[in-house]
Amino acid sequence: MVRAEFDFWVGIVMDKFYDGLQNKQFIGSKCSKCQRVFLPPRNRCGDCFAKAEEFVELPENGVLKNFTVSNYNVTERRARKAKEPIMVGLIQIDGADTGIIAPIINISPDSLKEGMKVKVVWAKNVKGHPNDIAGFEPVGGG
Amino acid sequence: MAHKVQPAIISCGFCEHASKRSDVNMAELVNEAVEDCITKANIDWKDIDAVVNGNMPAFEGANMPELWMGDHMASKNKPLLRVTTGGTTGGSVTIAGYYSVASGLYDMVLCIGFEQQSCGDTTVGLASVALGEFSIFSDLGYTIERMRSNMGSGAAIGVASYQAMNYMRRSRATEEDLARVVVQNRRNAAKNWWTHLKMPTITIEDVLDTPYISFPLRFGMVCPASDGACAMLITTEEKAKQIADIPVYINGVASYSNESAIIGIDCAGAGQTDPCEQLGAMKSAEVAYGQAGISFPNKEIDYAEVYSPFPNQELMWVERIGLFEENQAPEAYRNGVTALNGELPVNCSGGVNSTNAIGASAMERPAEAALQIMGKAGNQVPKTVHTALGHGWGGSINLITHVVMSDEPQRKWR
Repeated sequence: MVRAEFDFWVGIVMDKFYDGLQNKQFIGSKCSKCQRVFLPPRNRCGDCFAKAEEFVELPENGVLKNFTVSNYNVTERRARKAKEPIMVGLIQIDGADTGIIAPIINISPDSLKEGMKVKVVWAKNVKGHPNDIAGFEPVGGG
Repeated sequence: MAHKVQPAIISCGFCEHASKRSDVNMAELVNEAVEDCITKANIDWKDIDAVVNGNMPAFEGANMPELWMGDHMASKNKPLLRVTTGGTTGGSVTIAGYYSVASGLYDMVLCIGFEQQSCGDTTVGLASVALGEFSIFSDLGYTIERMRSNMGSGAAIGVASYQAMNYMRRSRATEEDLARVVVQNRRNAAKNWWTHLKMPTITIEDVLDTPYISFPLRFGMVCPASDGACAMLITTEEKAKQIADIPVYINGVASYSNESAIIGIDCAGAGQTDPCEQLGAMKSAEVAYGQAGISFPNKEIDYAEVYSPFPNQELMWVERIGLFEENQAPEAYRNGVTALNGELPVNCSGGVNSTNAIGASAMERPAEAALQIMGKAGNQVPKTVHTALGHGWGGSINLITHVVMSDEPQRKWR
């Protein structure tokens, strides 16, 4: 068997994003020309091919743009039936023009609706890792 | 073959190469070279009509990277083509850019070659390329262990050592001759801003003092694994004259392969017994020179960039592509003919021996050759360069790309 290990350097720009998570903040970047805001940040705007190196702090609230519900846990080797349905959504944070994908929690799958307002729930121990976002929950109990 | 539209190189860009560029992700790495190229050309990115790009598949463990780094390649709303042919990827990307312009389809094409080797496992990447061959090999009853032992040692050096032995037997080149090539390359690299292994004070003794990896190749003779990217703008003759001070016209391109030695078709055995014979290199050189109207390459070529991760290959290529008589290259290197101020400077950029970001390497050869004609190279040769060539090597030591360029357009009588 051949085993291979691969790394991926996130680079200085995405480092800012993870530093932000550690401080329970969302850090995006703004295009210097068209003022679009990227979250997660990127250093270049594709529309303008202009630099997007101005970092902006974004709120914890956003809008659920899209979602899916799964009854299976996908583990490394096989899929197993989950005890409770798993919900994942595409969330556009207020003030950002791009979306991030994260789990949706504290809501029943039946009441998920596109366009509903959601708010981030941080993990107990934040350490600058994607898992720092425990999930998003509906604002005002859904 | 005469092209309908005369393609010309107007600008070449690089990012800084190193063994680990962890300060940028792959997209940002590529963007550095693209921005360098566009800024130096002094054009608007919207003037670019199409983008051709390539890297080695699976080396970073990232599939189809062009699909998620489009923003960073200035390719929004533009046709984007990916070309990948192993070690010659950069050369093939350049040729694809040439075809795009020569056909009259696009006026300005951006060519990009890149590799961020520190992300992945190069040997596994190579294995994935050879996987198709592995499976047939095991059908024949060979184990992978057996195949690996046949290759001497892992990756490219396993096959290159056979090539080195054959070359040394033919030409009576010594280990000292190999070390001399390394010294010339690494000292040249020290004067070029974007290169990886900069060794301004290295000596032949230093190289011969390092242990063997696979006889006769020593640790000090082997190319590094680099992170880096290269970009190049190819446009039409008319536009090039408006934009660049000295447009570099691409007058001949060719890509040929002969059956590989050592591995053979589907690992069924060697298609030939001499890996330093290189009929593919001779053929591609002949065809490219023919297109460019060059009859005496040893007299007419002023500067050459050849793809030589291992020093024996540099000696071998310059002979096979007609720059020196057979077995005369070691003598020429001893006499300084190929040095910066020599009659026929070779690899003044430092060559692949000093910097090897694989997907970019074969594009950096024509790019550096073009910069020498423009007079803008990092390690510029003192004499005026009119005609230069960029050569690429890849596959199982058998695939060759050849790009011949000049400050004059292709001769009209052809």
